[in-house]
Amino acid sequence: MKAILTDITKCIGCFECVAACKASHGLENDVPRDWHRNDGLSAKNWTAIVQRQSGHYIRKQCRHCLEPACESACPVAALIHTDTGAVIYDPSKCIGCRYCMIACPYGIPRYNWEDAVPYIQKCDMCYDRIKRGLQPACTEACPNGATIFGDRDELLAEAHRRIKAEPDKYFNRVFGEHEVGGTSVLYIADIDLEFMSYPAHKDTPVLPETTAAAMHAVPVAFLGMGALMGGLYWFCKRRDQVQMEAREGEDKE
Amino acid sequence: MNRVKTFKSILWTITGLAVAFGMTRLFTGLGSVSNLSDSTPWGIWKGLNVLPGIALAAGGFVVTAVIYIMRREEYHRYAKVTVLLAFLGYITAATALVAELGLPWMVWHPIIYWQHHSALFEVSWCVMLYLTVLFLEFIPVPLEHTGAFAGLRRFLNKYKLVLVFLGVMISTLHQSSLGTLFLITPEKLHALWYSSLLPILFFISAVAVGPLVLILAILVISYLYRKQIETDKLAKLAGASVIVLALFGLVRLIDIVATGKFGIIFDGSWQSDIFLIELLLSVIVPVVVMGFKRLRHTPSALWIASSSAVIGIGLQRANVAGIMLVRTGPIYVPTFYEITISLGILSAAALAFLFCVERFKMWEVPWEDPEENPEAVPHFDNVGEVWLGTPRIASRTVYSLIFVIALAVGFAMISTDRIESAGIRDVPVKPARGGDTLFVDGNLDGFGVEFAHKDHYDREGGNSSCVICHHMNLPYDKNSRCQECHSQMYTATDIFRHDWHASPDGGNLACDMCHNPNEQRAAETAKSCADCHKDLEPANTPIKMEQYLAPSYADAMHGVCIQCHKQRATELADKETLGQCSACHKLDTPAYLPDEVYAKFRDSSFNHVVMPPATVNKAGAREKSE
Repeated sequence: MKAILTDITKCIGCFECVAACKASHGLENDVPRDWHRNDGLSAKNWTAIVQRQSGHYIRKQCRHCLEPACESACPVAALIHTDTGAVIYDPSKCIGCRYCMIACPYGIPRYNWEDAVPYIQKCDMCYDRIKRGLQPACTEACPNGATIFGDRDELLAEAHRRIKAEPDKYFNRVFGEHEVGGTSVLYIADIDLEFMSYPAHKDTPVLPETTAAAMHAVPVAFLGMGALMGGLYWFCKRRDQVQMEAREGEDKE
Repeated sequence: MNRVKTFKSILWTITGLAVAFGMTRLFTGLGSVSNLSDSTPWGIWKGLNVLPGIALAAGGFVVTAVIYIMRREEYHRYAKVTVLLAFLGYITAATALVAELGLPWMVWHPIIYWQHHSALFEVSWCVMLYLTVLFLEFIPVPLEHTGAFAGLRRFLNKYKLVLVFLGVMISTLHQSSLGTLFLITPEKLHALWYSSLLPILFFISAVAVGPLVLILAILVISYLYRKQIETDKLAKLAGASVIVLALFGLVRLIDIVATGKFGIIFDGSWQSDIFLIELLLSVIVPVVVMGFKRLRHTPSALWIASSSAVIGIGLQRANVAGIMLVRTGPIYVPTFYEITISLGILSAAALAFLFCVERFKMWEVPWEDPEENPEAVPHFDNVGEVWLGTPRIASRTVYSLIFVIALAVGFAMISTDRIESAGIRDVPVKPARGGDTLFVDGNLDGFGVEFAHKDHYDREGGNSSCVICHHMNLPYDKNSRCQECHSQMYTATDIFRHDWHASPDGGNLACDMCHNPNEQRAAETAKSCADCHKDLEPANTPIKMEQYLAPSYADAMHGVCIQCHKQRATELADKETLGQCSACHKLDTPAYLPDEVYAKFRDSSFNHVVMPPATVNKAGAREKSE
């Protein structure tokens, strides 16, 4: 299981990762829209750097959840969580329903709104490259070692080691270790990054589990409703029969 | 008669407009007609047509269950209407769903690519299956009219009960699965709407509102065609529905109290206000109106109760589907095109409904006694014997004409700007301010670059160095400012002013001055600018132009600065950070920015998003500058 660890304290905001991402995926230059104000991600920016008030540069990209909500939401299995840890997208299956955009807790998937044949756009952790044993374009391009690539377990250990070594400097949490069941893109920082997404996050459930119970109940509900209706039908038929017999009895008297 | 004609004319108009907009959507993409965006991926088509539409089509399974399973024969005459309503309701929802899909021609993919964890997979299968069931339930009606396929009709009527059972079972899944869709958004959906009971709440409210939609449709038809309303029978059905509505309200409130969200209802936010309105419309008004015995049996009570419940439950669905989801961007307001497509789908369904009601034996409601009220003789859609022979042809002509005109108007209304620019707004560039040090902030967003103009001037060699950056002179000018040509922040600008050259206030040149009269007039065949403007390009400038298409201001600034900076970063030992974005894009206080502008962009929630430097330039102008 591969992962990316970004150390916010080391990021100098040079945008080399963004440029490398664009170059390696052939993404065109982008024009900012109103909705970019949040994080700068778009159909043409799979990774972006947000400048915070505090002067921190925060790189955003797909978090590659271990239990991705998008994968569980996609009705045609176009989003797949691979063994490498990368959550990848198969445009040939996609129908364009955009339920993944609704489901993603980090608001990562973006869409080619201006195209007549649009597809979902998001970071694929350079799946083609990591399959060949290379590292993603962004981590390779980073001049300062702020964002690094490796096995998730090793990177987690490295993150904890860094926090332990300088407890005064770092905020004591590896972001992405546990949220929504864990993510493959991890962050450490000297500030609380919170959830790096929508403002109202209180707890962090494993999202596919929220629908799992309802989905498991499907056959039960289907057959149960059939049985219930069958019983009701039998009852009403019997009631009508009894009434009819009673009425016939009255008529005979 | 006039009622019907007016109503139908309106419906045909909306349908015509919607067809024009729908075709535009199909050929030029979602962005060209809708305000859908990355922060609002689902809009009015989901929030009006799909989610409320499916809920309102629930009458199909509820009323058929009442008639065939609970054997309430007194409602039998409404069986065909309710099935037709459900059938058309599902068709409208499916049409809107397809219109909303990014790749509508891939809509069949869930049949072959299975993903049984997905609520939407369940939804799509339920739609397909239930549409089939409804089709089989409804098809005997037109068959009866034409008299064809008698064997098939008998077969379908014989096994009607099977279809009813299937309909109830599939609908149970489908209505609840629409709630399941939003279980995956616990942190995005507002707390008053998110509940782990969403599937159950959706199911109960659908059961309640389905028959009320049937009642509303009967009321409308009776109004249009002046049919008699069987108030008692409908009131009884409405009464039962209202009991289920009350159950829905109760379960919802209990759930809210049990999960400790009761305080949110009265916290005064706009969401809580909408919640109260929704509760009022969907539960309280219908329950109160149908609760009074004296009121219950009047047509106006039926009107109020059914329309209030329909709007209320529709609002609840729309809230869950989008209004109450967390926004990350600007407020989503559907465009006129979007709203028209939405209404057009409904209008087409309404026309189909009226068509069936007029042609087929939908239900045998007794006419009002013509002796008593001669005005109330059932008039169908006849225009009169004024023109073109039979009345039916006459009205058909009128409607066709309305439709075609609406279609044409629709195409004329589409803004080509929106299609070409795909929703990109103009961001005109403001000049840099300052003296020796310039504050460069073209789009005035408060985040700019302090450019030490004098330092660069001195360092690069005084007056002879201007041409390194100032690569173009407007007529009678020696150093044009950047934003005069690069006048758009993010998009390229054509800097040749044809209108100006041809106008009396400007050059007022004859066409022949630039265009060869023997050739087609085009930019390619015209004279080049430098033929007249000899000193347009200063000598020795490293930036050569071929097309007069100025790249965006952002690209131009990046293009002119980054090359040098990167080079210097490698040449100078102590300046290795010079090539980085943060070398210029600092978060320090800008020296030349008005305080109020500064304050506006420095609230704590604002993050600055720097657009990355261009790597690919469509205009091809960048390559020349490098």
